Amino acid sequence: MVKLKAGIFDIEDLENVQIEIKEIMGEKMPEEEWALMGPTPKPKIPDLRYWDRILLKRYPPFYAPQCDTCILCTMGKCDLTGNKNGACGISLEATQGRFVLLACMIGTSAHIGHGRHMFHDIKSMRGPLDKIPIDFGSEVNIEAPLTRLIAGVKPKTLADLENVLNYVEENIVQLGDSLHTGQEGSALDFESKAYQMGMLDSIGKEISDISQMMAFKFPIGPNRPLCDAGMGTLDTNKAVVFVIGHNAPPATDICDYVSDNNLDDKIDIGGSCCTSLDANRYSAKVKLAAGLGRQLKVIRAGLADCIVVDEQCVRADLLSQAKKVQSPVIFTNDKNMHNMEIRDGDDPDKIVEDLVSGKVPGVVLLDPRNVGEVAVKTAMKMKDIRRKNNWLLSDENFKKYAESCTNCGTCTYQCPQGIDVGKANKKAAEGDPSALSDQFDICIGCGRCEQVCPQNIPIIDMYTKAAYMTGRIQNEKGKIRQARGPIFDTEIRNVGAPLVLGTIPGIIAPIGCGNYPNGTRDVYTIVKEFASRGYIVPMTGCMLIDAGFQKNEEGKTVFEEYDDVFDKGGVLNIGSCVANAHIHDAAIKVANIFAQRNIRGNYAEIADYILNRLGACGVAWGAMSQKAASIAAGFNRLGVPAVVGPHSIKYRRSFMGRKDKEEDWYVYDARNGERVYVGPVPEHLLVVAETIEECIPLMAKLCMRAADTPAGRSIKLTHYIDLNQKYLGGYPDDWHYFVRSEADLPMAKKAELLQILESDQGWKIDWKLKKIVEGPKVRYDPSFDPTNIKDLIRAKKE
Amino acid sequence: MAELKMAPFNAGNVPGPKMGRVTAPAVIGKMIKRAKRPLLICGSNIEKHGSIDKAIEIGKKGIPIAATGNAIVAFRKKGYTDNVKYALLTDLVNCLCDPEWKGLDGKGNYDTVIFIGSLYYLVSGVLSSIKNFAPHLKALAIDPYYQPNAEMTFGDIWKKQDDYLAMLDEVIGEL
Ligand code: SF4
Ligand code: SF4
Ligand code: SF4
Repeated sequence: MVKLKAGIFDIEDLENVQIEIKEIMGEKMPEEEWALMGPTPKPKIPDLRYWDRILLKRYPPFYAPQCDTCILCTMGKCDLTGNKNGACGISLEATQGRFVLLACMIGTSAHIGHGRHMFHDIKSMRGPLDKIPIDFGSEVNIEAPLTRLIAGVKPKTLADLENVLNYVEENIVQLGDSLHTGQEGSALDFESKAYQMGMLDSIGKEISDISQMMAFKFPIGPNRPLCDAGMGTLDTNKAVVFVIGHNAPPATDICDYVSDNNLDDKIDIGGSCCTSLDANRYSAKVKLAAGLGRQLKVIRAGLADCIVVDEQCVRADLLSQAKKVQSPVIFTNDKNMHNMEIRDGDDPDKIVEDLVSGKVPGVVLLDPRNVGEVAVKTAMKMKDIRRKNNWLLSDENFKKYAESCTNCGTCTYQCPQGIDVGKANKKAAEGDPSALSDQFDICIGCGRCEQVCPQNIPIIDMYTKAAYMTGRIQNEKGKIRQARGPIFDTEIRNVGAPLVLGTIPGIIAPIGCGNYPNGTRDVYTIVKEFASRGYIVPMTGCMLIDAGFQKNEEGKTVFEEYDDVFDKGGVLNIGSCVANAHIHDAAIKVANIFAQRNIRGNYAEIADYILNRLGACGVAWGAMSQKAASIAAGFNRLGVPAVVGPHSIKYRRSFMGRKDKEEDWYVYDARNGERVYVGPVPEHLLVVAETIEECIPLMAKLCMRAADTPAGRSIKLTHYIDLNQKYLGGYPDDWHYFVRSEADLPMAKKAELLQILESDQGWKIDWKLKKIVEGPKVRYDPSFDPTNIKDLIRAKKE
Repeated sequence: MAELKMAPFNAGNVPGPKMGRVTAPAVIGKMIKRAKRPLLICGSNIEKHGSIDKAIEIGKKGIPIAATGNAIVAFRKKGYTDNVKYALLTDLVNCLCDPEWKGLDGKGNYDTVIFIGSLYYLVSGVLSSIKNFAPHLKALAIDPYYQPNAEMTFGDIWKKQDDYLAMLDEVIGEL
């Protein structure tokens, strides 16, 4: 009997006919040999633990428990105060690691769930996955760097990605298992597992974004068109459909329905969070109206004639909030159904009738192809009904409420921002709404205050009214470039050398949610500051949306001021949260294209390369969700540090280095195995900053790397010192740590800095030659090849 | 002075069985006075709370100051930088939790840390680190709020700035 094998076969006597057998009883077609397989394809929990331990030794977890007890099982509630053990034996410290892993698992599940859901939708909307090739055109040959790096797979079609997703899902389950009561008792091993989870999150995001890009033909590359952003861009002369969430197929169906029926002059589509970003990639007509912090404000301002929600980062009280302003809601995802009826299969007109008549406040439609018609028809009918009402407070009611405030402070106690609403109400009662309007931007729109106000003041409505009275909302009109997806290989070829040599001082990646300590303006400040200094600024998620409606003196947003190229001073909309995989990808491609490192199944070596050479730093100034936790873990394991805002202390864990511990900052010289002190670069891996003035110089500092050339180090040091002077009013205390020789000193300040090194640090200076003779602990050697991994030493020193 | 409330400023911030004791300013002052190695940690709300001048007075009594967030700018504006050093709060507390740390002056770790001008929720987090992982440290909070993770703390007085400043004067009076 002939034993069939997987593979491609010619058939004798038949010209031009080939048979492809993909899989026989579990035996897969061997993958074309495109690169040598590295040591860790599809790593499981223990496989990259050695790399995690290297990171965790230098950057051990710092824990800030949010709760000193545990009630995860019925032996509790356990009092763990003072690092006691619970009834199962776990310490408070390990409990923090456990919690972090749990948060990362939720975040990763959201991204991977999104990917899986996307595959189901793609199969029903676009056909079989193996018929959808992965093709980014001639500018992108390394189509899926994370997939190549982690899984060791070079995917050709979406079906290949689905196979990789199986690996990811299995490993999430294994990690979930480790959360069970008992078992793991080491905080460090929980953190290693959180890193594993973060890595799975990164590859899952790549799979999700590539899938949606290929299936829905999202455009790629620079020079994307400028699109409308901000609450003020929603056109209420039309019927407004407002989409919220993170899974765009239902929104794409709305776009199609509007286009197919020539309804552009009757329907405005706006959205918040990642669904708006992804739907906007499908059709630039979708307005990026709001990040997460504005979600409730858009709803309560009554701007939406029909709300369509999918998954993640959607308010859990959306239905009751929408009812207040008579906006029907369509739930399109099984993760989020709010006890409404599933109506797929019903006559669309009957569903519309039920929604418009108010018979039901919302419906569930799980097939995205059923959403467009219902949403659009509902919005058009609701417009006529809803426009009869004014959803804003009347002037009289605004005044009445402001006067009724007793300044009791109950709201302030509930407010995560600690906002003194009473004080602003007092001003409003005196006829000045400006304080409330200013608070509108600092308020994250959580609605906690309203529930406790003894005077029943609708505080969100007060903010919205004040923001209209002062023109804030009407003027919240900006521009964001449409998302561009992956960075081109050609762009990496151009910037690889300047990035690694340091003449482009770094990549600053603002990502994540809108839980900012002090409003959205800080986002603009970060982007503007770094872009104007020549850093590359790729952005994703809500932080990107919030950057888009702030303007400079000439009325331009950062997207109008800077090009969306991955080059010096570029400001890029990469896409939604899942698209931030392309930022990881850019770093991996630098290692691959510029440094010729093999990336296949070779995670640790590439992470080591990035940690020691590539000046990149993420910033999630308003990080809020569990997804932000898993995203950060994924960046950190890959060797990219991140700065988070002050609310992020509530994630419980940061990874901080100790520059005072010299022994922590030795690496190997891969040429000969010599142990070399490189100084605290990068000093931290995940760090909470208190204010924006602290955050900005800190990010510049975290772009320094062991392998910086003198030219690069001097540029990076220039920015670090400058930014300290600008935002903190003086020199940083620790700049001398980063000086290896006089060549590292910023040119313009050289004499002054040499003076300080002599007087404050006791270094010896040859003033004739303007050279440092003695002092620096770090030496620079141009052929130095730093690595933290012993196995990468090429020839051991005798 | 009326009895101050022991209500966390963020109502949900109830950490567990061990919660900070609302303590009279004079007692807190005496605790600081008794400390061998005290450190005043001034946060980014130092101007908003109106407590910058009081912090400087405490500094002038010889207690070293770590200015976190952008608080260093407030000190620079006031022209007082004698014993003030910038510190990143989480970095500082990470070091404080290590008994072997050499301190900002190289003379060893501290025995008492006093928080003022705090960004409430951030400092609440790092106070929890100290409470749970740094038994060698006493943590006191002289913010206008009740700080549940401090060992001793003022009660809520954020709505009455004059009373708050008077409480700080009482603390200073003991130094
Ligand atoms: S999981 Fe452990 S610490 Fe938590 S409640 Fe159960 S026994 Fe207590
Ligand atoms: S809605 Fe705004 S003001 Fe009210 S509690 Fe939330 S953040 Fe504070
Ligand atoms: S709870 Fe109500 S009455 Fe009290 S201060 Fe806040 S808005 Fe005013």
